[in-house]
Amino acid sequence: MLSRILACLATFNLAIVALPAQASKATDIVNGAIGGFVRPGYHAFLGATTGLSEAGKKLCAEPSTANLDAMRGAFGKTVGTWSRVEVIRFGPVTEQNRLERVLYWPDRKSTGLKQVQAAIAEKDMTATDAAQLAGKSVAMQGLGALEFVLFGTGSDQLANGDAYRCSYGAAIAGNLQAIAGEIDAAWADPDGFAKTWSTPSAENPLFRDGKEAVTELMDVFVTGTELVRDVRLGGFLGAGAKDDRPKQALFWRSEQTVPALGGNMAGMRDLLEASKLAAALPADQAFLGGSTIFEFSNAANALSSLQGPVADILADPEKRAKLAYFGLVTSSLSDIFGTQMSGALGLTSGFSSLDGD
Amino acid sequence: MPAKCTNLIDRRDFLRAAGVTFLSALAPQAFADTLAADAVFATAYQRRDGSYGAAIISEAGKVLHAVDLPDRGHDITFDPISGRSVVFARQPGTFFVAFRHKGDTPPVTVESIAGRHFFGHGIFSPDGRLLYTTENDFDNAAGMVGVYDATNGFSRVGEFPTHGVGPHELLLLGDGRTIAIANGGIETHPDFGRAKLNLPTMKPSFVLVDRFTGDLIEKHELPPELHQLSIRHMDTDEKGAVWFGCQHEGPATERPALVGRAVRGKEMQLIDMEPKVLSGFRNYIGSVAANRDAGTVAVTSPQGNAYAVIEAASGKVIAVESLTEVCGAAPDRAGFIVSTGTGVVVEPDGRSSRDETYVWDNHMLRIG
Repeated sequence: MLSRILACLATFNLAIVALPAQASKATDIVNGAIGGFVRPGYHAFLGATTGLSEAGKKLCAEPSTANLDAMRGAFGKTVGTWSRVEVIRFGPVTEQNRLERVLYWPDRKSTGLKQVQAAIAEKDMTATDAAQLAGKSVAMQGLGALEFVLFGTGSDQLANGDAYRCSYGAAIAGNLQAIAGEIDAAWADPDGFAKTWSTPSAENPLFRDGKEAVTELMDVFVTGTELVRDVRLGGFLGAGAKDDRPKQALFWRSEQTVPALGGNMAGMRDLLEASKLAAALPADQAFLGGSTIFEFSNAANALSSLQGPVADILADPEKRAKLAYFGLVTSSLSDIFGTQMSGALGLTSGFSSLDGD
Repeated sequence: MPAKCTNLIDRRDFLRAAGVTFLSALAPQAFADTLAADAVFATAYQRRDGSYGAAIISEAGKVLHAVDLPDRGHDITFDPISGRSVVFARQPGTFFVAFRHKGDTPPVTVESIAGRHFFGHGIFSPDGRLLYTTENDFDNAAGMVGVYDATNGFSRVGEFPTHGVGPHELLLLGDGRTIAIANGGIETHPDFGRAKLNLPTMKPSFVLVDRFTGDLIEKHELPPELHQLSIRHMDTDEKGAVWFGCQHEGPATERPALVGRAVRGKEMQLIDMEPKVLSGFRNYIGSVAANRDAGTVAVTSPQGNAYAVIEAASGKVIAVESLTEVCGAAPDRAGFIVSTGTGVVVEPDGRSSRDETYVWDNHMLRIG
């Protein structure tokens, strides 16, 4: 029975597959993604969190408006590097809950906010040590928690010396730096996940052939565009203006909502370029590569004029329309990657294999 | 924002606009003959043009009857007394559609109440009078079973808790009274699409509930180190044991057991499989189906492009087959009929057919 099924499928696949299970081609694509995007992306995140941690120490040692501004600026840089690379949702970042420890969001029940406020109110000293903090609730040790420390109610006191709040913030920064270091090291390891991903084979525990390895890459674009549209944008942009929920937007306090959306899209664009995935398209479908570039620039243009608090952006019909348009562009990209490009490359787009059902 | 429309916001308009149509692929007499003579199955589908529906299909994968749906469906349940099938929206969908494939009564579309959505699974009571479905009380992140009166336009007449988060499939056990529920443990909220909100703290469970009183009879949880193993699909074997299939939400490098067995009054047991077989499932079982006459259970993995047949009595894997995007499975003759997300149906004897119009969704149900 098995051989009959395989024979049938083989005939079917040969007709449409532009990217055969050929391991060498897949290895080139995956190596491009790792060397040109994943490793430098996590390394930049490590650099930003190192700067954040140093800014935290400095602010605690010498509280001042300038040092608070520097710490807030370092937070923005950290969000910038993270939002590019957070589209990678497999590999070392999925170990030890690292993804959620860096950013636990959406936090519907405001668990993180309550825990952060409680830590500040009770001056919980165990939260001021990065190593101990790493073992606490994921909601109180990452970017969401740090955003409240640096931008939430009472944060301006950091400039005048709020010793507990500052040391808790510095501990979060140190924890982020430690997590970033672990992910960076795991990807740099020549025998680590990078090797597993780039050397598909029948014996490989995760990637049996080149198609599976490239599908993992394609999933970044499919799930990434969905994440941006359904979770990040859809979380606060309603069907109509009356349905908007600006305080449900990620990073609304630090006004990093729009930069983070832009970072996600820029990350996907850079990854596509680094992997040269579009070059593997058959000649008659090669235009799809151009379609993605076009849509990525549309997305970037739509966001380019949207600065300031997200509530103000939503209150301005012209600016709000740009966000809605940005949502349409992500849908278009989702279709290009999930249906058109996946189909052209002979990757099953996973109609029945999407998660969680 | 198309994804929003399918959730809660414009759902009334969406349902109205989508409409419902009938389709009979065969001439009336041929259709009647097929329905009378052969095994028939029900499944949700997606047309290759992107639209959704549910179909009654023959063993050879031929569509005998089709109903359009406003959005993607998931599982189907069937009441042999009224001859009605009910197809449930895939989570976080907000509708189910009841239809008859014999005769010309129009389908009935029912919406979830405010604050709830469906998870894609449901069951009839043995007398066909009541319909039970898993629902998400999403603002409270609480699983619920909604109870509907099938004799009265499927009006909602009650509900009881599932005693867990993110319930998925439910089953009526052999006593006709106990309902087994797989609480997958994953919190979702329609404001955030299908995003999983609690992976670091999720706690799936398997519960038995009395459908007459809503009382909790038994609740079982996996050991703490397996708290990210979401229990999702089930079927009962010839001895009444519940076989369940799981999806692991932890790191892909972990390889927990994915299939287990639950017997009333005993602890749940996970089934050991050879590492190579287990690894081939990619931490994801998409459906579970028992062939009670043959004493076997099939588990499918669309992510691993493989399915296995297990001997129920021994718990041993007796066959492993490769098939791209296989997910639907139903007992047929001495084996199983399986369907795929590429539109292929494979009969127990290995004959396969690929439909040019449809691709098949996650579940298949034998209805005759």
